Amino acid sequence: MAENKFPDVNDPATAPFWKGTRDGKIVVQACTKCGYLRWPPGPICNECLSSETEWKEISPIGTLWSYAVYHRAMNPRFKDEIPYTVALVELDDGPRMYGRLVATTAKVEPGVRVRAAFQEIEPGVTFVYWEIK
Amino acid sequence: MTLAKTAIIGIGATEQGEIPGQSANEIAARAAVKAIEDAGIDKSAIDGLVTCKPPMAPGKVGTDEDIGQLLGINPAFASTLEYGPGAFSLHLAVGAISAGLAHTILLTYGTNLRSAGASFGGGTRDWLTLAGLVHIAGPAAMAARRHMHLYGTTEEQLGWVSVAQREWAQNNPIAIFREPMSIADYLASPYVVEPLRRPDLTMISDGGAAVIVTTAERAKDFKKPPVYIQSIAQQSAMRSDQNPDKLMRPWIKDIADRVFANAGLGPRDMDLVYLQDATSVWVLQMLEWYGFCGVGEAGPFLQEGHTRPGGSLPVNTNGGQLSECYMWNWMHLYEAVRQLRKECGSRQIADVEVALHAQTHDFYKGAATILSTHAG
Ligand SMILES: [Zn+2]
Repeated sequence: MAENKFPDVNDPATAPFWKGTRDGKIVVQACTKCGYLRWPPGPICNECLSSETEWKEISPIGTLWSYAVYHRAMNPRFKDEIPYTVALVELDDGPRMYGRLVATTAKVEPGVRVRAAFQEIEPGVTFVYWEIK
Repeated sequence: MTLAKTAIIGIGATEQGEIPGQSANEIAARAAVKAIEDAGIDKSAIDGLVTCKPPMAPGKVGTDEDIGQLLGINPAFASTLEYGPGAFSLHLAVGAISAGLAHTILLTYGTNLRSAGASFGGGTRDWLTLAGLVHIAGPAAMAARRHMHLYGTTEEQLGWVSVAQREWAQNNPIAIFREPMSIADYLASPYVVEPLRRPDLTMISDGGAAVIVTTAERAKDFKKPPVYIQSIAQQSAMRSDQNPDKLMRPWIKDIADRVFANAGLGPRDMDLVYLQDATSVWVLQMLEWYGFCGVGEAGPFLQEGHTRPGGSLPVNTNGGQLSECYMWNWMHLYEAVRQLRKECGSRQIADVEVALHAQTHDFYKGAATILSTHAG
């Protein structure tokens, strides 16, 4: 059951997000009816149920809600990356995103301020990592 | 429509652990046979069947049509839940009885997920997996870390969930993990997903369990003392990460408020507590949301030993999924019924009349039931 480690960055449902990361931006869906910033991407607004939407750049700054340090690979695809830290970030603009925390000597604690760091993991595929400000 | 008065009048369980060479359906059917024997009835008395698909099972497994065929029954009402751990299957049966679809319902669950080599490590190409947040240990570790940050909870305090349940398991012959584990042993075990260690995470095991529910009126005619279902409640949190503080699962308090209000009881009235423990963090959170201690106070509450054998609040007296077996909360229900029937031998708690049986489907939804030896 080998899974591709990389997303399909050309999938129309998510391509604008992946184009954004390649350009060093966080781009999410914004409801053109109520303004709700939607994450993860979806076909209708989770707030007002409108399907009218546009992709919009948001602030790459947020607050670390919590984190987890993987000492064991719970899925074999990550075995070469152990140990690694996954962060849950509350962006200042509202959405909550999971992503790797960039290795740091700073004190990692919920509540610290973080900013997006864009890391190309293979040609054309750029992930959002988080680094402590 | 008001909730019908119902009661559990039969329970059954197969051996727990590894059952190689048997299908999940066969295991579910064997558990059903034990529940029918326990109830002392002929299978013709059953007019309802509720089954569920085992977690991670590929394809068509656990359906009512296949298990009904194995048991040779033609129930008036039959249904299969895609997600049917103990409480959710039980509530469906209670609802079906209230609606008059059936009067005596057999609920059964069987799994061979250990022998089949099932993995809970994820593998779908979703946003969490892309980030490396695989297995329930990841989000549970984040929730534990957040609790430690907000309230000063320590790793040792969290460790008392697993240590207390291991103490209970030592008096449970069914339990798979019975070797003694001290808090020092716990702290010496390596991290899996920090701050969680192996003892904080459910095992994976094979097994079957079954329950028979009937109306309170009919219950008096069966051979075992009825265990009455006094109250049920559920709540979901389907919006997931769009809900604030998703990982803390504050909506569990809504279930608690409703299940206690429906019964006219409160947390202090509970003699026994069963909290489904996919991870130790779930127990920590549920102790707080169900009001057994204040929000943020579960760490000291656990360290004070209330949930251990001899403590003021017996929690998961079977050892739970951390020490007894991984049966999706079905064996918590089995244990609750046996405790209320006074069948638990050396771990039997004296004078128990009321139990809370609660579970959650991770961050998606939860359900709770109050069980009682009294019909009223
Ligand atoms: Zn909208």
